[in-house]
Amino acid sequence: MAQAEDAVQPLLQQFQQLFFISKIAGILPQDLEKFRSRNLLEKSRNGMIYMLSTLILYVVLYNILIYSFGEEDRSLKASQSTLTFVIGLFLTYIGLIMMVSDQLTALRNQGRIGELYERIRLVDERLYKEGCVMDNSTIGRRIRIMLIMTVIFELSILVSTYVKLVDYSQWMSLLWIVSAIPTFINTLDKIWFAVSLYALKERFEAINATLEELVDTHEKHKLWLRGNQEVPPPLDSSQPPQYDSNLEYLYKELGGMDIGSIGKSSVSGSGKNKVAPVAHSMNSFGEAIDAASRKPPPPPLATNMVHESELGNAAKVEEKLNNLCQVHDEICEIGKALNELWSYPILSLMAYGFLIFTAQLYFLYCATQYQSIPSLFRSAKNPFITVIVLSYTSGKCVYLIYLSWKTSQASKRTGISLHKCGVVADDNLLYEIVNHLSLKLLNHSVDFSACGFFTLDMETLYGVSGGITSYLIILIQFNLAAQQAKEAIQTFNSLNDTAGLVGAATDMDNISSTLRDFVTTTMTPAV
Amino acid sequence: MIQIMNWFSMVIGLIPLNRQQSETNFILDYAMMCIVPIFYVACYLLINLSHIIGLCLLDSCNSVCKLSSHLFMHLGAFLYLTITLLSLYRRKEFFQQFDARLNDIDAVIQKCQRVAEMDKVKVTAVKHSVAYHFTWLFLFCVFTFALYYDVRSLYLTFGNLAFIPFMVSSFPYLAGSIIQGEFIYHVSVISQRFEQINMLLEKINQEARHRHAPLTVFDIESEGKKERKTVTPITVMDGRTTTGFGNENKFAGEMKRQEGQQKNDDDDLDTSNDEDEDDFDYDNATIAENTGNTSEANLPDLFKLHDKILALSVITNGEFGPQCVPYMAACFVVSIFGIFLETKVNFIVGGKSRLLDYMTYLYVIWSFTTMMVAYIVLRLCCNANNHSKQSAMIVHEIMQKKPAFMLSNDLFYNKMKSFTLQFLHWEGFFQFNGVGLFALDYTFIFSTVSAATSYLIVLLQFDMTAILRNEGLMS
Repeated sequence: MAQAEDAVQPLLQQFQQLFFISKIAGILPQDLEKFRSRNLLEKSRNGMIYMLSTLILYVVLYNILIYSFGEEDRSLKASQSTLTFVIGLFLTYIGLIMMVSDQLTALRNQGRIGELYERIRLVDERLYKEGCVMDNSTIGRRIRIMLIMTVIFELSILVSTYVKLVDYSQWMSLLWIVSAIPTFINTLDKIWFAVSLYALKERFEAINATLEELVDTHEKHKLWLRGNQEVPPPLDSSQPPQYDSNLEYLYKELGGMDIGSIGKSSVSGSGKNKVAPVAHSMNSFGEAIDAASRKPPPPPLATNMVHESELGNAAKVEEKLNNLCQVHDEICEIGKALNELWSYPILSLMAYGFLIFTAQLYFLYCATQYQSIPSLFRSAKNPFITVIVLSYTSGKCVYLIYLSWKTSQASKRTGISLHKCGVVADDNLLYEIVNHLSLKLLNHSVDFSACGFFTLDMETLYGVSGGITSYLIILIQFNLAAQQAKEAIQTFNSLNDTAGLVGAATDMDNISSTLRDFVTTTMTPAV
Repeated sequence: MIQIMNWFSMVIGLIPLNRQQSETNFILDYAMMCIVPIFYVACYLLINLSHIIGLCLLDSCNSVCKLSSHLFMHLGAFLYLTITLLSLYRRKEFFQQFDARLNDIDAVIQKCQRVAEMDKVKVTAVKHSVAYHFTWLFLFCVFTFALYYDVRSLYLTFGNLAFIPFMVSSFPYLAGSIIQGEFIYHVSVISQRFEQINMLLEKINQEARHRHAPLTVFDIESEGKKERKTVTPITVMDGRTTTGFGNENKFAGEMKRQEGQQKNDDDDLDTSNDEDEDDFDYDNATIAENTGNTSEANLPDLFKLHDKILALSVITNGEFGPQCVPYMAACFVVSIFGIFLETKVNFIVGGKSRLLDYMTYLYVIWSFTTMMVAYIVLRLCCNANNHSKQSAMIVHEIMQKKPAFMLSNDLFYNKMKSFTLQFLHWEGFFQFNGVGLFALDYTFIFSTVSAATSYLIVLLQFDMTAILRNEGLMS
């Protein structure tokens, strides 16, 4: 046990930098020292106070930002169509709402996140006992890449908008930096979710790979048997059921019988071959508990018999398959817990992504038509910055959706791999085990959802993209109609004005005809 | 036909040359795949940046024509570039892997057919139906017409330089369609294998029907075989509870006797010996003449085959699915704008401007051809799905009939149950799809048509008369 604990590196080890940054930014309230020394996420009151103060600070700063940049919006309200103004008003606070929901959820979950990673560590240990070692170094690399991407995107958006679109002669313009805070904090929080999800996906894939490896080794084993015994072709078509080797082992244990005399007719050749596998499996089967604690279990391929197949031994393989299925079950449960912990942030992120994507495109359209747009969305004035903003926002949402979909697929894949084991061994006992476990797996598929409103898979993405397009078309049509109406009103007003002028002129005519006479007499020669 | 298509797609650089051989010149293989896209990009940039040649620079091209040609060109660029990048990403490994796996599958199928004595069926399977040839011919004609129309109008407009505008107008759609053709070919191959499996399973099913009558005879006759169940009493119990209650009456007396026998039977060696012999018998069921059960020995092979073919379709879908997405999107946009231009422009001012007519017809023609190809893709994917589902159905049918070979041995029962369960897993895991965005079956047609309708309602409200009047096309 102690060996396994040492050999399995906790997943949180890879999270060092991420935790440090999130701690400073005030996303996670957990204790920094304990994390550093023991890789544990534990509650801490100081962290909570710090986090709440950062939250209040951000909210205050963001409100100041909105107030100070809201000056320009007053003129927008007066001059522009109400549609643009109302959309701007609705979406002003959505970034803030997203950030606050992230931080409050992190506060609520501060005890449970630690448990979650502890459970993942236990799963790792169990997987290790089954012979698959999880490599967490790719996760560390992933975190670093994601952090760098986030910083690049945020900085490029912030700097380009600041340089090109903000009037930086004023001192107040420095407040624009605050506008990047909500998205930055949100992204950091989502990196935690994405990486944990990715880790779960890797665990599922490890289970699948273990099962496939069992199949491969068994196929090699069968080939090897076939090559040695040189049976006539009809026998080739299917392997004799494997449980007899198991039973041979039983007989050997009970009565010490001669195996050669048992398999005397058709399996006489293979009986001799099976002596070695039986001897080996007895070793590890008889001393299973001992072996687990004394030495790390060998990875599936590195057995001392080259072509020994575990699938040949039904009892042993039953234990292994059972364990794998239990681990699968546990990972599914962890996935559900993970999804539940992040359900509100995910929902707010998806709402944010959908609304911001539509709004940004709409404001881009408005900007190309030389209409003024709300000051917080000034990045839409430049198509290039808009592209960066859109790819950043959509990248976040799409990556999470894609990862959830892939994880769910990987969990479904396990059932197929399990059945492959059954088919390749072609053994009655094994079929029964496999059928039983497969039913269990069918009921245990993990699906990620946002608060249960919609599942996070690619079909949702398809629906959402359709929704964005149709809303965009409707918005543009309304905008066109509003513009046409405004033009019509303006022409009508100007007509009225000219009519009024003409009317006034005729009034004046009556009053001061002499003046007009004077004017006409003086003007006509000039004309 | 497929040879022609493969050859053609090699020429325009969509699949590598010598895709089946592993040891060929790397540069030679991918030369075409690089030259054609570079040529395309050069034409695209020439038209968009240099303002020397292009449809939009002609005097007779009005604003509607300009907009539609821009849309057509940029959409084509999006389609072609994504498809080419994905093709370059695919490279030859896929084709080699596909062929290797297919040969593997074919070898097993042939072995199964030999066992099932169905060699003669294989010969007929190669022959295609009339509908198959008709579809190919029809597609060929449609494409020829589309290309002919485009080339002719462009030649009349631009003279000898017509190939440059052609590269940006029709070529991307042609390339996309050909890639879909490759997809169609691979899916049809997969679907054919499913059909063959179904045929073999159906054979077992029919045999089971014939075997049903002499069931009791078989039981009495092979009483010796029953003895081996004494070795594993648990499985006997399972088998009795699971192989159906209808036969339990027949069985019950015999079972009691067997259990009695088991108590008496002290000699373990003897029973295990029996068991081994039984297994031998079961393995040799293919050559056992008195029972005549020839093809149920195929079952494990068939199940493995089904699994392999599904794995093959996962790979194929992984390669071609992403290319489906831009193609379907382009097809959708072109169709919507085709209908829009046809109803709002061509019906009103058709025949007044030759260039405008050309643009409208180009939209209509390409929307028709792409829709045809998309329909065939969807149809074949749906077929392949149905065929794979069919095998599970047939296996269930066999299980319901409780043929003789199942009763004597509950290994077969568990095997079939395992297969159907596995198929349930497969069903949840895989369906032909475009990167998971949409399933490639008839439901996709429904969703696109409904989406297209709502967009068309919005688009048709758009008032074109003012613009047309401005262009001087309407009085």
